[in-house]
Amino acid sequence: MCEVMVVTSGKGGVGKTTTTANIGVGLAMRGKRVAVIDTDTGLRNLDLLLGLENRIMYDLVDVTSGRVAYKKALVRHKKFETLYLLPTSQVRDKSAVKPEQLVELVTEMRNEFDYILIDCPAGLEQGFQTAIAAADVALVVTTPEISSVRDADKIIGELGRADKETIKLIVNRIRPMMVEKGDMLNMDDINEILSLECIGQIPDDEAVVTATNRGEPVITIDSSMAGRAYRNIVARICGEAVPFMTFPREGFLARLRRLFGM
Amino acid sequence: MSGEIIRMKGTRTGLELSFAEGVSFPRIETEIISRLESIEGNFFTRGTEVSIRNGTFPGDQMARLKKIFNQHGLRFSVAEKVEKNIDLPMEKSPDKVPEEEKMIVVNHTLRGGQEIRAKGSVMVFGNVNPGAQIIAGGNIDIRGTCRGIVHAGAFGDVNAFVVADHLIPLQIRIADFFSRSPDDLDPAELNVKSNYPERASVKDGQIVVEPIKR
Repeated sequence: MCEVMVVTSGKGGVGKTTTTANIGVGLAMRGKRVAVIDTDTGLRNLDLLLGLENRIMYDLVDVTSGRVAYKKALVRHKKFETLYLLPTSQVRDKSAVKPEQLVELVTEMRNEFDYILIDCPAGLEQGFQTAIAAADVALVVTTPEISSVRDADKIIGELGRADKETIKLIVNRIRPMMVEKGDMLNMDDINEILSLECIGQIPDDEAVVTATNRGEPVITIDSSMAGRAYRNIVARICGEAVPFMTFPREGFLARLRRLFGM
Repeated sequence: MSGEIIRMKGTRTGLELSFAEGVSFPRIETEIISRLESIEGNFFTRGTEVSIRNGTFPGDQMARLKKIFNQHGLRFSVAEKVEKNIDLPMEKSPDKVPEEEKMIVVNHTLRGGQEIRAKGSVMVFGNVNPGAQIIAGGNIDIRGTCRGIVHAGAFGDVNAFVVADHLIPLQIRIADFFSRSPDDLDPAELNVKSNYPERASVKDGQIVVEPIKR
């Protein structure tokens, strides 16, 4: 059985692409056959995060317009051999791919993969409509900020209108210290508005930035908190019941060190 | 045949009489009296309302007939015009309920950007999130938390009200009145403050929110 998941958020910059890359790699680390499709035509980034930019030959627009078979456009990950990327065009725009074309493509791909992840562009326009058209499950990414939660709410409404019933929530960039002090929305605040099943709580972690720059998703870094959070998400997607991690409080020494800028 | 002199038709209120043409009034009068006084074949049971179409006889003859009917315990009236297509209220089919009386039931949470417009009342089983809007001609009842914008009595009904389990909307509008959430209240504080059902209605020219039980 193949599961098609769209990663969406409404607001830009909350970590859709990062989440797609990490979950994709995480599933592949478990030996699953995974395809990640970038639908952010014109503003593609997924290839960068996976470190595959230089291997792209064909793109999504070539496939949907019938120029090449999708298998020719797939880029295999250099490290995880069951992970494939279907990049999108950098020169065309969102109108280049129609929802029904993506549905047709995904239907064809279902037989070959265990999971297909679709990276959705920000916004509510045609790109979004295209990205969600083929999905069984929607993963909504939000950050603990009021604007991001508001947009996620709107997106959930739109998903409902498109008859996407299975919607799961991922909260990204949590800063435990700020939550503790009450300066940041906590999980209860978010749940109260969105009331969705949450499958991930990812702390804000500098390792994400360095990993992104290197083209190696943070999930591969054992010591990283965010990497651990992503591994938990992957486990939950695979049906395991994993408790949410508790963020260690900053110890007295660490706080002292920070105070003196050490 | 005497039977043809008087014709009877059932109406909503009783019997309407009409008469064969070219028959003189005295003959009709005796016929009616004989019918009323005979025991067999008397259709005029006591209390029946009998009517004769206006203009059938001159006023004085009408008055005489009225007197005869009244003596026999029947009520008499002059029908103004032919009753056509008598529509009894109970025969109305449900879809003939006027728009304003229909209630729209929403069985899910209204999320940001969603809008419900109704001529009548609206009931929501779920929350109304910030950015969602309800505009109703009638009342609004929310079985959940209301954080969006609600407008009851949108077509001018000042008696309309808004009820919610947890009423913390961005704006409440009732008819032409308007009220918004205070700027200086911390949202978290607001959550604690009104954790019971409340009802907003117009009193003395302003929107008043008061706790209710339900």
